[in-house]
Amino acid sequence: MNAPGTSSTLDSNTSRPGGETQSLVLALVGSGGDGVALLGDLLLRMAAQQGLYGMMVQSYGPQIRGGESAVILRVSRTEVLYEGDQTDVFLCFRLADLKRFQGAVKLHSQSAVILEQSDTAELPEWLGRSGRETFRYPFAKIENGIEVVGDPKNMMALALLIRVLGWPASLARETLGHRFGHRPDVLSKNLAAFDKAHGQAAPPAMPISPGTGKGLFAETGNEAVARGAIASGLRFFAGYPITPSSEIMETLVDELPPAGGSVVQAEDEIAALGMVLGASFGGVPSMTATSGPGLSLMTEMMGLSSMAEIPAVIVDCQRAGPATGMPSRTEQSDLYHAIYAGHGDFPRAVLGVFDVVHARNVIYKAFYLSERYQLPVLVLSDAYIAQRRQIRNPVAEHPEAPHRTVWTPGMGPARFDIGGEHGVTPFRVPGSPEGTYLAAGIEHTQEGNPTADGSIHQQMNEKRFRKLKAIEQDTKSWFKTLGAPSAPCGIVAWGSQYGILQEWVANHPEYRIFLPEILHPYPLEAFEAWRKNLKSLAVVEMSFQGQLHHYLSGLTDLRDALRVTRSGGPPLKTSELKRLLEEATR
Amino acid sequence: MKAKDYRTPLEPVWCTGCGDFGVLKGLTQALADLEIPPERLAVISGIGCSSRLPGYTRSYSFNSIHGRALPIATGLKLSRPEITTLVVGGDGDGFSIGLGHLPHAIRRNVDITYTVLDNGIYGLTKGQASPTTEIDFKRSRGLAGPDERPLNPVLLVLSTGCGFVARSHAGNLPHLREMIREAIRYPGFSFVHVLAGCVTYQTPSYAQEIYQRCDVLPPDYDPSDLTAALDAARADRFQLGILYRRDPETGAESAAEMAGVAGVWKAHTGTDRGIEDVAHEE
Repeated sequence: MNAPGTSSTLDSNTSRPGGETQSLVLALVGSGGDGVALLGDLLLRMAAQQGLYGMMVQSYGPQIRGGESAVILRVSRTEVLYEGDQTDVFLCFRLADLKRFQGAVKLHSQSAVILEQSDTAELPEWLGRSGRETFRYPFAKIENGIEVVGDPKNMMALALLIRVLGWPASLARETLGHRFGHRPDVLSKNLAAFDKAHGQAAPPAMPISPGTGKGLFAETGNEAVARGAIASGLRFFAGYPITPSSEIMETLVDELPPAGGSVVQAEDEIAALGMVLGASFGGVPSMTATSGPGLSLMTEMMGLSSMAEIPAVIVDCQRAGPATGMPSRTEQSDLYHAIYAGHGDFPRAVLGVFDVVHARNVIYKAFYLSERYQLPVLVLSDAYIAQRRQIRNPVAEHPEAPHRTVWTPGMGPARFDIGGEHGVTPFRVPGSPEGTYLAAGIEHTQEGNPTADGSIHQQMNEKRFRKLKAIEQDTKSWFKTLGAPSAPCGIVAWGSQYGILQEWVANHPEYRIFLPEILHPYPLEAFEAWRKNLKSLAVVEMSFQGQLHHYLSGLTDLRDALRVTRSGGPPLKTSELKRLLEEATR
Repeated sequence: MKAKDYRTPLEPVWCTGCGDFGVLKGLTQALADLEIPPERLAVISGIGCSSRLPGYTRSYSFNSIHGRALPIATGLKLSRPEITTLVVGGDGDGFSIGLGHLPHAIRRNVDITYTVLDNGIYGLTKGQASPTTEIDFKRSRGLAGPDERPLNPVLLVLSTGCGFVARSHAGNLPHLREMIREAIRYPGFSFVHVLAGCVTYQTPSYAQEIYQRCDVLPPDYDPSDLTAALDAARADRFQLGILYRRDPETGAESAAEMAGVAGVWKAHTGTDRGIEDVAHEE
């Protein structure tokens, strides 16, 4: 079996985002219970159905419903992976809720502003000002000066917003029908509120160019990871709930059993990876998913996976910070952990996810590597991708799932034969007669028997690390570049920075971008070829320590490279990237 | 097949006279009684003296990391239900570092047999007190650690809902063989507590003392009576036998009832890569 395709499979992503009239950014802010997330979701579904692209990011308190909530939604004629710098349409049910979203919402001179009629609060200074008149609507039901529960505000807002966007009411009714068809009482209540508001005066239209009319798909990064894994042969999953990765397990609970696999909610992350290793010891392709704290707990088990040569795919949806940190915020600070964590020397591979579409490809590649080379493969996603809902083209399924080379009676080599090609020996699957052996986390001979002999330890290390050499050869083309190859300024980045950099390079032709799909072993040969004749090189990432910069410094000469980084939190904006690049140059 | 056919050629590293020899013997005898083909057998352990046991049994064996054998066995059994899955290990492995997994394995009720070889000591690390070390013994030997009361493994597993609980000791081979055999036969999570004396860090005489503090349950004992089992677990002397056996078909929290309610979503049609497919792929 050959290595999966290179960056060509990602070409669907290379279309440039359009200009102002081609794309519209909506910011929807409300209190918990106002249903702004549902409102954004409905608008995104409607965009997808018309053949428009878009993406939606949500912002709310870590794990708890209630409190203030904001949705940033961008709709576009072409694929978008970045939610934009400025807000075209701002809708807010209660200005007091806006405070937490400073920076995420920013008006320009032509922004449409829709506010609650009875809200007397002032727009904050940092929001900026629109030259257009604010549109006010009585979303809230007020009795004796106190707000009481009235008609669903989000349905009224939906009616106003589709008139701004120039979308037909029939599309909204159809979408509501799909979403609430199984709950007729909710549907009729929502439709009534929608129809009532749709008949009222609306803010001026800011119509977006129509889509192709050919329906597209909306998916979150976590859903894409789960579905990509099923398509890659996943048949056993164990995990423990953790923000921002839980939806991977939730999606698999619904979708893996019908595909012939099992899901376990484990008692902790140590058990989750343990179960994965048990299932994979049984010959079944297996995966777990977690976030930083869970990955920390899994670390000893990662070493066991590598030592006992049992394939495992480990997805880490990075959050911000150590310990608990900021669970619902994004960061790229688990890179060291993924590459280096664990006691002793052991090989593993580390891949990075660019966006929702790429998630499916990268998971396939993770299974390919882990099944072929019988070692742990870490896939680094992050909160920005995990929780984003993105409209995408249909994805081509891989014709066959990756599979491991399996031992059959009479085949010969011992389970851990040191002579195996690339350090890989056929996997003995329980049930196979005459194949019994001891898998062990303790150092072992070729047969698997425990040993404390230093020379055998040396030989076995050599065998196991031959896999890493082979992977390096196998994955030479696992990277992506953006921009003109002759552009004088270079940026090397990874993971979810892909979205903003795609936007950046479209507006800054003097830049070329290098994004490794595999972070360890690093595609160094391609990187060195790409960076030739650069006048400047910047390492862009979201980690206080600059983990990518530091990691690359150990692989190649980065003495002249700019370190462009900050701690996690909100994703980078292009305006911020511009400032950070300027500051680093100074 | 005979008991010796379930042994690998490896010589155990255990001290002469170690109780673990008896358990290895009793286990292989039980396997021979049940005629389980070695290729359909998995023996999984963590780390410790007794956790070396999988290396000595002809099976798909896994000597994993300290305290984590139960999750590994759970993953294997759920994805490969046709493999008879056994977990073995010591008191430190199971009741200290790995204790967090035990109630959940019991709740999940996956068909695994967990045999603990309890010697009341950390032998591999040369004699520290374990969660089952008795205070008097600890004081008499000057072992490190505060005077914490030992935990009662049998009471613990009964109270967390284990459907099959038995106790034996390494010096009573026919009894041990029977207990392990019946535990493997039980369709659900089963637990066998084996008192297995350490001859080095306890004394040879101490092991004998422990064995002498054991009584076999009377013939009229009713193992379906949970209250009787709890009483037996709390008795001053060690009660040997099947202390509790919940009817797997009709008893409360039967295996069928447990499936799917304790965080396990099973494949609708079995894995679509059955063992025959897997074993013959290249």
